[in-house]
Amino acid sequence: MNQALLFQKLRLRLLRNSWRAMTQQSSMRPLTILLCSAIVWTFIFAISWGGFLFLHTEVGVPLTGEIVGILLDLLFLSLAVLLVFSSGLILYGSLFASPETAFLLSSPVAVDQVFAYKFQGAVAFSSWAFLLLGTPILIAYGLVCEAAWYFYVLLPLFFLGFVLLPGALGGLAALLIVNYVPKRRKQVLSVCLTALVLVLAGWLYRMVQAAPTELWREEMREAVTRLLSYFQFTRNPLAPSHWVSLGLRRVVRGEIGAALYYLALVWSNGLFLYVIAAAASTRLYRRGYNRMTTGGDLQRFPVLFRGRNHKPAMDNGRLPLAAVGKENHRESWMDYLLYAVLVFVNPRTRLLLIKDFRTFRRDPQQWGQVLAFCGLMLLYFANIRRFVEDVSGPYQNSISFLNLCAVALLLCTYTGRFVYPMLSLEGRRFWILGLLPLKREQLLWGKFAFSMTGGCLIAGGLILVSDLMLLMPAPPILLHLLTVVVLAAGLSGLSVGLGACMPNFRERDPSKIAAGFGGTLNLVAGLLFLLLILGLMAVPWHMEAYLTMMPFLSDRKSEVALLSEGFIGAGVVLGLLAGIACVVLPLRAGIRALREMEF
Amino acid sequence: MIKLDHVSKKYGAKMAVQDLSLDIAAGELFAFLGPNGAGKTTTIKMLCGLLFPTSGAVSIGGYDLRRDGDRARQLLSYVPDQPFLYEKLTGREFLQFIADMYGLPRAQSASRIAEMIELFELHEFIDDLTERYSHGMRQRTVFAAALVHEPRVLIVDEPTVGLDPHSVRRLKDLLRRQADRGTTVFLSSHSLDVVEELADRIAIIEHGRLVACGTLTALREQAAVDGPLEDVFLTLTRPVEDKVTKP
Repeated sequence: MNQALLFQKLRLRLLRNSWRAMTQQSSMRPLTILLCSAIVWTFIFAISWGGFLFLHTEVGVPLTGEIVGILLDLLFLSLAVLLVFSSGLILYGSLFASPETAFLLSSPVAVDQVFAYKFQGAVAFSSWAFLLLGTPILIAYGLVCEAAWYFYVLLPLFFLGFVLLPGALGGLAALLIVNYVPKRRKQVLSVCLTALVLVLAGWLYRMVQAAPTELWREEMREAVTRLLSYFQFTRNPLAPSHWVSLGLRRVVRGEIGAALYYLALVWSNGLFLYVIAAAASTRLYRRGYNRMTTGGDLQRFPVLFRGRNHKPAMDNGRLPLAAVGKENHRESWMDYLLYAVLVFVNPRTRLLLIKDFRTFRRDPQQWGQVLAFCGLMLLYFANIRRFVEDVSGPYQNSISFLNLCAVALLLCTYTGRFVYPMLSLEGRRFWILGLLPLKREQLLWGKFAFSMTGGCLIAGGLILVSDLMLLMPAPPILLHLLTVVVLAAGLSGLSVGLGACMPNFRERDPSKIAAGFGGTLNLVAGLLFLLLILGLMAVPWHMEAYLTMMPFLSDRKSEVALLSEGFIGAGVVLGLLAGIACVVLPLRAGIRALREMEF
Repeated sequence: MIKLDHVSKKYGAKMAVQDLSLDIAAGELFAFLGPNGAGKTTTIKMLCGLLFPTSGAVSIGGYDLRRDGDRARQLLSYVPDQPFLYEKLTGREFLQFIADMYGLPRAQSASRIAEMIELFELHEFIDDLTERYSHGMRQRTVFAAALVHEPRVLIVDEPTVGLDPHSVRRLKDLLRRQADRGTTVFLSSHSLDVVEELADRIAIIEHGRLVACGTLTALREQAAVDGPLEDVFLTLTRPVEDKVTKP
């Protein structure tokens, strides 16, 4: 049988069997996944449709013109950058670190066929989110533009051709890094991510610097034209993202010939780059696997071959974790800091948390994303006054509330992406924890304390910077901080509790655990909790602040204040109760599940 | 059938295998022994083409693994100590995948799969997803997959770990039968009783160097020990300082 066909058959069988196994276990699971996806899709579609309609009818922006073109350019360029990193990382794991790799490489299958099989899986996995988040935007664009039927036929073709380019680039990067810097691959990744964040931050900074002058002091048309010049880099004629954007706009205009030209340009370049990557794999894949296994930075070799006289550091009154740390890595001040911060946690549980923290810290793929988001948010908060010179009145009120929402969303992502998989990541070694002289509930409370402490420090710090920069008065700052604490507690409780109720000990990739059924359910529950808490604890104060600024209510300020105080007080109490419920109920369910768990 | 010609392999600064030369004939059951970290698995991975020698050459059936790797791998089957199975395939689907991968014609693959199911008594669970298999069931399925395409070389790493006595007996019979049929069996194991019972020749490796190679009788002579393989092995792999003080 043709080897390419063999792998397609294998993939189809694996998908079919996985679907069957999932539906046999519970029909609720696929239904919930489909329902959640449909809700998210519809929500994004509605927002995009409204947005394009507003631009078209209210602002009068031509939808096939340059401004919308820039938006599409930016969308596809961001997607390309994300896809290069995500498909590169997934391909690296799949090509070099997966147990399937040794099995396939010891078989007579041609190495480029293995690469092709892994490439298709990685690109599909890394770009499915675009299908969920990008298609509603583009379909809304087509509908508002009243595009012809062939827009919807060409849209998936453009998309498929486009994902080949970043996918192949990511694959090539993975092959080259493993072959030429096997010992420094994590550092290379960190440098690339840092460079990307710095470039993005620099660009944002320039935008921020320019924005007040451009938008508020000059004529709108000229200002917008100048502002658009900052987006010129997205319109490079050699950028494939620009070809897709141009192609789609040509389809909308009915210029089918030009659209097909861009489609051919995208596909030919995509396929060409893929052929280069596949050809490189024939020379570099086995070589890279060999280099990574034997020359890469595998900690086990230095430790294994350290010699017979090597003895680990003895515990001479220092922290017990220090002795363990000296075996492989140097002890870190961060471990001591966390040990000190978590003083309220049982010492044995604290040691387990230090272990979790070390695992988290030594995986830059994990913390790199949080750091990037926090850094960008901090940059924006710190420069907020450049956007709005007068930070009193409605701007102050609405911006501080929107910033609180952004921080809450970051917290929700942090708990969903990193805290929820924590218990599952114990994997098949979970029985070791089960045998420890430690009550199982302590394990969950410990993870909860870890998550809540981290969440409070990150989110609390961010919201404090935002409110101080906006010169907010003390009461709302305290209210925001309290909201953040309740959110951190509730979201941590949800993630830890649900993580224990639905553990996935087979999966080793935290992103796949977070993207699974339990992770999706946790994310949806977290979002609902977030909306509830913001609605109860933050909205009443901001509504009061808004209403007291309304001229038609100027003579009834005292009545409004009295009424609002009642709402604010009741909201805080109800928010606290909801927070407590969101900690206690999921954790109780998690503890029950953990107690009944067999190893 | 298997030839290692002055093969060395470095892990960074550490020499994992040093100047190893072996020549193993068709139909021979060759046991490869050594303490933990001696270089056994590294050698096996070089035999499968998963790792490349730093110097020297490895060939299977006359095919050099660097130049004609795919042809060499067509001749062999490798059963690692932690074998891989697709969790979401049934045992039958996995066997079919292996048969297709090695290019067996449809009719031949069907009869070979049926033979393997019979030989390894897989009937009861062959149509279940492999994620539900016990260790023994997995091991039997992996051996069935390894033999479905009738390899000329069978490389087995620690096959008896976790198997019950019945399964070990069945495995020993199987390995002997395969060798008798002309398959070269390269067996790496810490179960010295199994090796003693089965092996035509035994090689002992320590710190990457070959310290002994030959029949059990030859090894006994080299070690000057007239006892079981365990005593021979312990004598030959004794630390240097012990050898000096306890001749």
